[in-house]
Amino acid sequence: MSYSELIKNFDRIREYMIEFYVYGFKSREEYTQKSSRSYDDERRRLESWFGDYIRINYTPDGKNFSLSIDSRSTGGCPLYAAWKAKSFTDGAITLHFIIFDILYSPEIKLSLKEIVDKIEDYTSLFSSPRTFDESTVRKRLREYISLGLIRSEGRGRNILFSRTEDTPLNCTDVLEFFSEVSPCGVVGSYLLDKTKRNDIFTFKHHYITAATDSEIIFRLFEAIHEHRCITIETFKMHKSGSDTAKPMKAVPLKIMMSVQNGRQYVMVYDLQRKVIVPVRTYNIASVTGEEVCVEHETYRSVLDGMLPHIWGVSTVNRAGTGMDHIEFTVRFSDGEQYIYERLEREKRCGTVTRLDDNTALFSADVFDARELVVWIRTFICRITSFSCSDSHIEEVFAEDLDRMYKMYGITEEDEDVLQ
Amino acid sequence: MFFSEVYGVYFNAMAEILRCAADHPIDMAEMRKIIAGHAFGESGVFIEQCIKDEKWQLMTADGRTNIQHAPTMPLTLLEKRWLRAIQSDPRINLFDVVMPDLSDIEPLFYPDDILIFDKYSDGDPYEDEDYIRHFRMVLKAVREKRPLKICTLSRKGTVTKSVFLPAVIEYSEKDDKFRAVGTGKHGNTVNIARILSCKLTDEQPPDIKNSHTARTVEFDLTNERNALERVMMHFAHFEKQAVKTGDKTYHVSLCYDKDDETEMVIRLLSFGPMVRVTAPESFVALIKQRLIRQKRCAESNVHY
Repeated sequence: MSYSELIKNFDRIREYMIEFYVYGFKSREEYTQKSSRSYDDERRRLESWFGDYIRINYTPDGKNFSLSIDSRSTGGCPLYAAWKAKSFTDGAITLHFIIFDILYSPEIKLSLKEIVDKIEDYTSLFSSPRTFDESTVRKRLREYISLGLIRSEGRGRNILFSRTEDTPLNCTDVLEFFSEVSPCGVVGSYLLDKTKRNDIFTFKHHYITAATDSEIIFRLFEAIHEHRCITIETFKMHKSGSDTAKPMKAVPLKIMMSVQNGRQYVMVYDLQRKVIVPVRTYNIASVTGEEVCVEHETYRSVLDGMLPHIWGVSTVNRAGTGMDHIEFTVRFSDGEQYIYERLEREKRCGTVTRLDDNTALFSADVFDARELVVWIRTFICRITSFSCSDSHIEEVFAEDLDRMYKMYGITEEDEDVLQ
Repeated sequence: MFFSEVYGVYFNAMAEILRCAADHPIDMAEMRKIIAGHAFGESGVFIEQCIKDEKWQLMTADGRTNIQHAPTMPLTLLEKRWLRAIQSDPRINLFDVVMPDLSDIEPLFYPDDILIFDKYSDGDPYEDEDYIRHFRMVLKAVREKRPLKICTLSRKGTVTKSVFLPAVIEYSEKDDKFRAVGTGKHGNTVNIARILSCKLTDEQPPDIKNSHTARTVEFDLTNERNALERVMMHFAHFEKQAVKTGDKTYHVSLCYDKDDETEMVIRLLSFGPMVRVTAPESFVALIKQRLIRQKRCAESNVHY
């Protein structure tokens, strides 16, 4: 099949987008385990969609392509472009504009036959007029009914079709904002395409990778609302042509989102292991709705009870049982009271206790203390004590600090200089 | 249906072409301009060819169309459901607009379906009437490109009056805060929550260029404990370049705003020994300074 910049299926390009955007150091050879043509086509598509953001790095291993986007300066998420690249047939686009021209107002109600007859009038302008039979037009109308663009009603023996009412929209600023910060924001971007942007907003700390998971999140919302069990297929590994792992049957309960690394998870009750666990949406290849789960509310209550002890998303500690206690103290000078304020605003499910004017204690009982270590390291230069009920975490924390001292060549003399 | 051609750039470009063609005969140059504004880099060639070959029987090669009305399409159910869902977000009140009545539509999601677990807890007060009024005034000033006479309360409790010309409103999801970014005597950023009063003015702010100053930091990354994925995801929102240097090692350079240097230092430190900053020297010194202080904390105190 000849190359087209449009795509039928989103799955493969989804992986390439993440590889190019998040990593961007792989050479062509590393992508071409299954098909070099596939890589070339996908790369060409990304170049066409994201032209200004494509970077080419020349390395001894060859040319590497990456997507380099400073999301603070773009205003809108460039990755949404991929959702607007669905392929279609020549007949589909022809029918689309003709049908909505025939049904140009909600008051116009026509039968299938009347619509087909009118379509012939439209195509007669061309040297080789296309013809569309009733079944083709019916199929298209049905699709528009499912999209909510067309409605049908019985009138005697006939079914009449009309377009749904227009919904006036005068909220460009709202769309510009929520299309970037709201789940499934690409839908807002679809709406924005019908209007002229005002470019009022920019976004700091803005993770746009979630855009690629939009349809997965959409399917998860549907299953959560309908209290359905789902079958989740996850990718075994994230690279082009990856296979899917063994399906997991679960009950989806809540979407958990991070604004500090852009990851999204669905908390599910795993029906096989009988535990609540997070599944990262980035790793999900497909979600299939199954039967209604009568225990949905029960599992949801269990999760709600667990949330005060979940720092990020993990529900199981290193040992696989119980809960970890973790605490550390930080010291700050009189002029550094903002450190105390930082602890307060970033403490999540932890507790902050002021020990004196210049010292504060953070403590938490959590399912998995490993999740806190990265955050605790942001207080390096002030940590005066650190302890964890899991001695392994304590050891690794101390070892890591020692490694960092060595890595940066910090000696006794350096310490003296600072004093 | 989430992934559908009706939302696609080709359909949007074609709608715009037909809208113009319904108004006046359209030539190739105008068509190319429309396609460039609505579709992808390579779309022009493809769309033009489809029209020339009469594959899409909507327009003849000489620019005549069979479409009699400017193309419009109702909102899809998905679009209505998303619009309904965002109306439950408290931030919607910041905008002085009438949203469509979609009370008979099921929202795409409910607030309780989602938890943002690492957002800071001192976000802006979206229900506060003064805050909403100030937000709307800043929004109006940005839209009309007009300066504001503004009175703010600093972190230290000092009240400052100034003339500020906001260019955009910046939102941080992590901080859950809005900031006006523009030009003013006291800097290029004003936290909207710190505004005590503001009104439009004809006075101009001093001509001070407060643009962001881009800096670059370089670091080596060792892929232990899944650090490659964690680090690259964490810094995904920056303009950056990564090169593989060994089996488990990578070299990364990324651009950041000078004003965010302290934040960058602590973010890089948070990855422990998996990240080693290599340049510039001034940045390495900032890291070392913190580590030296930490070593002193450890030795003068305590147990880990």
